[in-house]
Amino acid sequence: MTQTIVIARYNPELDEKPHQETYQVQSDDNTSVLDALQQVQQQDPSFSFRWSCRMAICGSCGVMVNGVPKLGCQTFLRDYPVGLVITPLSNFAVEKDLIVNMEPFLEHLSAIKPWLINTAEGTQPHVQTPKQLAKYQQFANCINCGLCYSACPQFGLNPEFRGPAALALAHRYNLDSRDQGKAQRMPELNAKNGVWTCTFVGFCSEVCPKKVDPAAAINQGKVESAKDMIVSAFKPTGAR
Amino acid sequence: MSSEHNGRRPYLPPFRRDWWLQLRFYRLYMLREATVLPLLFFVGCLIYGLYSLGQGPAQWQLWLDFMAQPWVFVLNLLTLAASLFHAKTFFELFPRVMPLAPPRLMIAGQWLGTVVVAIGLIVLLGGYL
Ligand code: SF4
Ligand code: FES
Repeated sequence: MTQTIVIARYNPELDEKPHQETYQVQSDDNTSVLDALQQVQQQDPSFSFRWSCRMAICGSCGVMVNGVPKLGCQTFLRDYPVGLVITPLSNFAVEKDLIVNMEPFLEHLSAIKPWLINTAEGTQPHVQTPKQLAKYQQFANCINCGLCYSACPQFGLNPEFRGPAALALAHRYNLDSRDQGKAQRMPELNAKNGVWTCTFVGFCSEVCPKKVDPAAAINQGKVESAKDMIVSAFKPTGAR
Repeated sequence: MSSEHNGRRPYLPPFRRDWWLQLRFYRLYMLREATVLPLLFFVGCLIYGLYSLGQGPAQWQLWLDFMAQPWVFVLNLLTLAASLFHAKTFFELFPRVMPLAPPRLMIAGQWLGTVVVAIGLIVLLGGYL
């Protein structure tokens, strides 16, 4: 059947700001938002959007569908009988049509040192038990789609806020038995734009396509941050 | 390279002041935050009551009369409802912050604790209600 969808368009070379346009697409029960966007691109080759894997793995097809952040490839037209308005991910600057500048998100991610920090010498493998893995596994499922940043009003209000995915990733590495970098990451969590900026709105966890539950991770991070600040208050100066 | 030279002109939509009206999820969040307002009224009543207690029987009676007024009663009923709603949201969030046991068990445990403490207080305070 034919379905009408509304899409935000923005051409930086011509337009003052984004505007909405209406398109007709063919849809059946299996038509995803991404499929629909590709149909629109066939009608108008100047239409731009990001995608790659088509299977909720690469995290590049995030858009707002009726004001809610979604992966285009994992969202189906059949669930929107009253119609869809597709706009670029909120809280990011729009480069063109549905493409946003993810640079601020990537900066927040790298700021929390998302890699194993370990001073052990030699080439022995790091042994880890299933129990140790289970501690952080959920937080390691992030695909860096950025949906949680579009769901977060605190990030919208204050783009300096490290944000859900970055703080969840910090927590993920802090919980990893192979990692020794916690002391290096804590200042970032304790800082003004760290975990304490979060007020547990919780919509990030609601929209996360991988059930990472970044809101839980951030608030577990608050417990760690409180411990860290209490411990450092009792340490003689210069001991850190 | 400046954005003028590469054709870039990123458009950042202004952040809406009424963001919290846009989705049901945000409205519920704001409701949760707003439960503190009736609670402030109740705390005011409580402080007034403690003050009256120190001022002798006449003032204490004045406070009892104040508390018995319909509008005060209704406001405090609202406070109770708001606090129960806040408790519900809090009890559901808590197991995610401190996953000590299966979430359902923790939620049930927190409600059980609330009921036990409430009954204990009522008994302790001489069986009012
Ligand atoms: S935490 Fe979830 S919503 Fe946020 S970037 Fe990772 S996968 Fe996407
Ligand atoms: S295209 Fe890769 S996540 Fe949707």
